[in-house]
Amino acid sequence: MLRMRSLLPPLLFTLAYALVSLGVTNSYYQLILTLVPVWAVFGLSWNLLSGYTGLISFGHAAFFGIGAYATALGQIYFDISPWLLIPVAAMLGGVAGLLIGFPTFRLQGHYFALAMLAYPLAILYVFEWLGFQEVTLPIKRDAPVAYMQFADPRFYTLLGLAIMLATIVLTQVIERSRFGMALLAIKQNEAAAEAAGINTLAWKLRAITLSGAIAAAIGGFYAQVLLVVTPQSVFGMLVSAQALTVAMFGGVGTVWGPVIGSVILIPLAEILHAEAGARIPGIQGVIFGIAIVCVILMAPEGLFWKLRDLLRKRSAPKPTVDVTPEAAAANITALKPVARQRAAKGDVMLEVKNLSRSFGGLKAVQDVSFKLHKNEILGIIGPNGAGKTTLFNLLNGFLKPSQGEVLIDGRDMSGQRPHVICEAGVGRTFQVMRPFLRMSILDNVVVGAYVRARTDDQARKFAADAVARVGLSAVADRVAGELSTKELRLMELARAIAGQPRILLLDETLAGLGHGEADEVVAVIQQLARDGMTIAIIEHTMQAMVRLVDRFLVLDHGAVITEGLPEVVTRDSRVVEAYLGKKWAGHAAN
Amino acid sequence: MNETSKGLSRRTVLSGAAAVGLAGVARAQTPAEVKVGLIVPLSGIYTRPGQVMKMGAEMGIEHINAQGGIKALGGAKLKLVVIDCGDTTEKAKNAAQRMVAQEPDLVAATGAYLSSFTLAVTEVTERAELPVLTLSYSDLLTDRGFKYIFQTAATASRQSELGLPTLMKLAENASGKRPKTVAMLMDNTATSVATAKALKDKLFAQEGLQLVVEEVWTPPLSDATPLIQKVRSAKPDLLLFMPNAVSDAKLGLEKISEFGLGQGKIPTVSFSITIAEPDMLQSVSPETVQGIMTIVANWGSKGHEALIAELKAKYKEPWMTQNVISTYGDMWLMKEALEKAGKADRNAVAQAFRTMDAGPSKYYPGGQLKFDEKGRRVGAGVVIVQWQSGVPVTVYPPELAQAQPFWPKKS
Repeated sequence: MLRMRSLLPPLLFTLAYALVSLGVTNSYYQLILTLVPVWAVFGLSWNLLSGYTGLISFGHAAFFGIGAYATALGQIYFDISPWLLIPVAAMLGGVAGLLIGFPTFRLQGHYFALAMLAYPLAILYVFEWLGFQEVTLPIKRDAPVAYMQFADPRFYTLLGLAIMLATIVLTQVIERSRFGMALLAIKQNEAAAEAAGINTLAWKLRAITLSGAIAAAIGGFYAQVLLVVTPQSVFGMLVSAQALTVAMFGGVGTVWGPVIGSVILIPLAEILHAEAGARIPGIQGVIFGIAIVCVILMAPEGLFWKLRDLLRKRSAPKPTVDVTPEAAAANITALKPVARQRAAKGDVMLEVKNLSRSFGGLKAVQDVSFKLHKNEILGIIGPNGAGKTTLFNLLNGFLKPSQGEVLIDGRDMSGQRPHVICEAGVGRTFQVMRPFLRMSILDNVVVGAYVRARTDDQARKFAADAVARVGLSAVADRVAGELSTKELRLMELARAIAGQPRILLLDETLAGLGHGEADEVVAVIQQLARDGMTIAIIEHTMQAMVRLVDRFLVLDHGAVITEGLPEVVTRDSRVVEAYLGKKWAGHAAN
Repeated sequence: MNETSKGLSRRTVLSGAAAVGLAGVARAQTPAEVKVGLIVPLSGIYTRPGQVMKMGAEMGIEHINAQGGIKALGGAKLKLVVIDCGDTTEKAKNAAQRMVAQEPDLVAATGAYLSSFTLAVTEVTERAELPVLTLSYSDLLTDRGFKYIFQTAATASRQSELGLPTLMKLAENASGKRPKTVAMLMDNTATSVATAKALKDKLFAQEGLQLVVEEVWTPPLSDATPLIQKVRSAKPDLLLFMPNAVSDAKLGLEKISEFGLGQGKIPTVSFSITIAEPDMLQSVSPETVQGIMTIVANWGSKGHEALIAELKAKYKEPWMTQNVISTYGDMWLMKEALEKAGKADRNAVAQAFRTMDAGPSKYYPGGQLKFDEKGRRVGAGVVIVQWQSGVPVTVYPPELAQAQPFWPKKS
């Protein structure tokens, strides 16, 4: 049912577009109507990689050009029909994506963008050197349709539309699947995604392969429409920029963005060219540029998101009348902090042996050893800079230890990638929250569920379960951007437990919460422990911690000062000294 | 009412016919205007050549109309429709589509400067059966089996075939000995590549020239030092320097001068109009370019003095490049075809181009106003232009020469 509902808008849009284009007989307008889906698909292919993962590619022309040249040269030298060549071009584009992605994904941010810029420019010169400065598609006068050469330009538009519809549907399927979730997670925080059990490199490679294939296919079709292929016209800077322009104008990270961008910008550019350019040659570029700058300034994320936010604002009052924040909060506070029977020491789930890590001369963690028993809550405390978060990063694989071992179920996992450790059953939350603001709570949590879930349905079930366990079921459909800090903390917790971990590493989960709010979160954590979870938690707030944990591990300057029951540890003069200084240590002793 | 007006009109017609001959009758039945198209870059980096072509077209139209328009159509006036083809192949294709869709009355067009643009434009006009004249000289343009493209310039390979032997003769006559070694520095644009291919495959061997240095760059040229260094150490008798951007030409020539190879120490020859564009003088001194020659498809020559003077007065252009004179000539060629066709119909005009045999050409060098089955002008020749005292003047062929060529002598 859900699938049908999401299929309907693109179908209707395509149908309406097709009807309009069938009514147009002016061959110039026809050409523009054909170019709109071409650039929309190119924008969609860019969006698939850059929109969802946030890794901006300035070099999508590489794939586009490969497709265009494959289609043109295949016809000239081997007399193969473009009906066959375009799928072949897609395959070549996919391979190119893989080859380009593998080395380039080592880079991030601006470096990735700049490296991508180099590929089409380099390939452009290769094609010039090969002597393909100007390639024209041979006219097939006897079998035009077999070679995708139509006398009626409307066929090109229909074909372009078919490719666009297929790309939209493909993108929608991806958006809703584990694939899309993984890409979105990478965009928000690649590290957190790894920690949630997502093999980021593998997903990014899949994304660039698919993106390259789509770009190459539409490049091949473009060659068929343009009939002339030159390196500049398919590998040039302007081509790469076109993908960015339509996607950023329309909206990044949504299937409709590039379509909206293309539907508006391509005809606009042409109208300006025909109308303004005929009067003052060159003015069209100026107007076009200014229009884009204005829209980007007013809607930095693109038209789609701006419009959606506006619509939401207009229709927002209704639901909030029904579910007041108080009502939602009441649902959460169902769990009350209860003093818990301290767990008897069970099996060792996690053992840390002589773990050390130094950054240059700074020994952030030195020679730390401890054991985490089944079903216990271990509090890791220490002043700022004591090495608590570094210790967590060593445990979940963000950092490789300089020395020592991390044994999970007796197996040494030190130095493994975060997603591997996550698969081994270790979940974690972060001191700085990384919610996916535009997604609902449930969708946020689903991201974490995929590490265990085999199917999309199972993932949703795990996520709903996790949301229920932290008491957010009543607000599960709300967008993360509207939540309070406490709800966000609980949502992060849900995301971590959706992956069905056996060990949970909580990094300052109570930070930034008011007194009452902290109690609610503590209640949730206690409930988790009662349900059999093994938990290690970093925290500053002593008061809440004393009631929560079974045992404390105290760190200072990267080393363990002491370890033991809360009542004992809080009276230890070394602990007081580490927190408050020597003077207060004396007071405590008295 | 009806009766009187009929009578009046009959009387008017009769008296009109008596006064101005039968032309008056013809005018009443045929359009007073015949539209021809000019599709050239008027925005982006190729604006300048596009503007210059527009000057040529405007002058042509003005002269034709001043001399009575199309006589076969009762003195119908030509009207120029200018279309900007932009600076990319896609824009050129879109502009061509717009031209054929929005201007159904066009009977012929000319354009589109860069051969890549002409390729794209003619893909559209061929399907719309609109005849197009072009000064672009890529061989590919007329190798596609198209029926509606007419190339007035000699093709790139033909230009080198014609140009090099002429050049060798010139060298022999002026300096007393034949060059034996040649260096070739070229960019990798389509025209340069086509010219170089013809030179290397056939012409160097045919002329007994040994290629001692061959260097290719991708525009823009960032540093000419390594190129010119190779030339200096090889000391060729002839240097073929083939840039297609003014900035590249400037860099190369300045470096040649800096290395002490200028002023004819190594005779330098080009194969494009870039090196003789008025823009050159904005970046290099007349001394730097003195004596440099280029082989081009067309240039303002002997017999065009009045035109050159008019161009100077009207548009402040210092001399007449290929772009002006060829486009000017295209207007006359269209007039010729219209006269022959006798009707303002694009297919009739195309047929007129195909079957035309209008004798020697006034505005294109060499050959006839006649096209072969590929659409190439029969006997299209080349002219050699040489920088002399800050002006590139035609020095070959003799019947078109504005000045005597001088062969730079090795000092």
